[in-house]
Amino acid sequence: MNKRTFWGFTVPSVAVMLLLMVFPLITTIWLGFQKLLLRDLNNPEWVGLANYRELLSDPAFWAAFRFTMLFTAIVVPVTMVFGLGAALLLDRVGRGRSIYLAAMLLPFIVTPVVGSLVYKDLFERGGLLSWAWETVTNDAFAVNSGNVKYLIIIQSIWAIMPFAMITFFAGLQSLPGDRVEAAQIDGANFWRNLWHVTLPHLRVLILFVGLITIMDAYRVYDQVVVWAGNRFIDAHSLQVYNVRIATAFDIGRVGKGNAMAVLTVIGIFVVLIPFLWRSYKDQIAERT
Amino acid sequence: MNPLKNIKLSWSRVGLHAALLALVVWSVLPFAWTIQTSIKFTRDVAAKKPVLWGYETTANAYKAFWLDGDVNMWSFLLYILVATGICVALGQIGKRVRYGWPFFTAIIVVILGAIWRVPSIWEVQAEWQYLKNSIVVTVLTMAISLAIGLLAGYGLARYTGISGAVILIVALGFRALPRTAFVLPYFFGANRIDDWLESSGVGAWDFPLINFPWIDTLQILDTRLAIVLALVAVNQPFTIWMFRSFFMEVPKEIEEAAMMDGATRLEAFRKVIVPMMWPAIVATGLFTLLLAYNEYLFVRVLAPTQWTLPVAIVSLTGGESSRTITEAAAASVSITLPIVVVIILFQKHLVKGLGAGAVKG
Repeated sequence: MNKRTFWGFTVPSVAVMLLLMVFPLITTIWLGFQKLLLRDLNNPEWVGLANYRELLSDPAFWAAFRFTMLFTAIVVPVTMVFGLGAALLLDRVGRGRSIYLAAMLLPFIVTPVVGSLVYKDLFERGGLLSWAWETVTNDAFAVNSGNVKYLIIIQSIWAIMPFAMITFFAGLQSLPGDRVEAAQIDGANFWRNLWHVTLPHLRVLILFVGLITIMDAYRVYDQVVVWAGNRFIDAHSLQVYNVRIATAFDIGRVGKGNAMAVLTVIGIFVVLIPFLWRSYKDQIAERT
Repeated sequence: MNPLKNIKLSWSRVGLHAALLALVVWSVLPFAWTIQTSIKFTRDVAAKKPVLWGYETTANAYKAFWLDGDVNMWSFLLYILVATGICVALGQIGKRVRYGWPFFTAIIVVILGAIWRVPSIWEVQAEWQYLKNSIVVTVLTMAISLAIGLLAGYGLARYTGISGAVILIVALGFRALPRTAFVLPYFFGANRIDDWLESSGVGAWDFPLINFPWIDTLQILDTRLAIVLALVAVNQPFTIWMFRSFFMEVPKEIEEAAMMDGATRLEAFRKVIVPMMWPAIVATGLFTLLLAYNEYLFVRVLAPTQWTLPVAIVSLTGGESSRTITEAAAASVSITLPIVVVIILFQKHLVKGLGAGAVKG
């Protein structure tokens, strides 16, 4: 395909990405240096790094940072291990597989805010699990600032795990059966088989699921809004903190919010750049 | 055959199914509980000890969420049943005949027609408008996103220059960015454009095709268009990667043969390649559908009044009374039902799509 035809095919998509992704990102960087209030959007005023200084000295920022790190550190490994386990189980079952699959996919495809709402209802007053807790421990259960973070984490594992499961399951489908059989003839048990045959086969997928899960955990928003809302500000993630400072009614600091967005972008790119660089190398290698 | 071996085998089968059932319970328990809540009376919901069975059921919560005034629920139910019946019949016919697509298109027309007719038959709540907004946003996002993504994915799969690699990697980087990096500049930019439209008077012009009777002034903020544009943009990286990986599997000899026979590249693409891509379009379309239907943050910030269903549901649960608990449960069940239908119908495509996108990406 020649250059002209290539651009003919890609120009609508590239135009959308330039206009609605590259250009807004530049706007974000520029606005991060401005003092800009939500109620007075037409008068940005250059303040240099003041927004950044303010953010880095804000305890609420560090609280959001710590929670987001805790969230990512727990959700990503747990999701991957349990997702792989569920995929292995699913791979071994013959009859009824599609029913199991559909039921287990539900938390992943349901609207995130609705998933959080229905999960939260189990723990509310009169909810099934809060009642179970009270019966077992004889202690009243309430969602409070102490446990809400862990409830968000548990519910997010519930919501994200099916993605890992289904991707690993799709990968297992392409595992050549003769390799497994060969290992079995050699007397390999389940764990050795997993370690020497299955995991190497899934290596690329594990990297892929890991990256996607890290990205999604890092930008968690919907679950936190539903669970914490305005009640438990301590349990806000970076994204929720960001939207809160930028759009809070009447005190919205749009400039500071944009500076915060820039910080989050830098944060994710520190993790991503080695991977992007490797993908770029792969792309170039594919072309020569 | 050793009988002991058989017993051992069946025990491991029991264990396998037990483990899977446990996972199913873990996955669907919240939904089961919500369905219960949505059909209970307030007194049972407020009970300290959960009433698990033997309670009286009611559809009041659903009625309160969707409909207004004294509506005869039976006539409404009949209406829904008839519409569903027509859709199922059309689907069954479509599956059996050679050219099914007119029947599948007819299903969409019937669903949309049925939903759009309701407000003129019964008194409805504002939520009915949010349902229509959800549909408009989802359908438009899918149409635009898939159309431009399909073209770009094809170009990126066939072109071997460096600029293709650069576009792919930049898109991959954008895929990782948080929503806030976009939503704030969108808000700022849309606000600027609206100011200009208002001060210059352009917004009040009468554009024959754009200014529908129900829009007095042209604007960006607080319109469904703003949500659609934002969603199309953030969905592009995923769409082009996905389509590209599917196009890579189509040998380029196929379109070369067509072009040898005198077709132009665009004709070869349209008549030979695209018809082979339907599984890819369905898979990518499903993910786009979920993205648009489930979006919360963009709608919340960019459309203060033109809500879609997720925002409507979250705002409903602001209160704490038992009445809103049942209503929120009914709302949750209502919004989840279409998604359940979608996975049941398209589960295979969803699995295949994730597999394909993942293996290459």
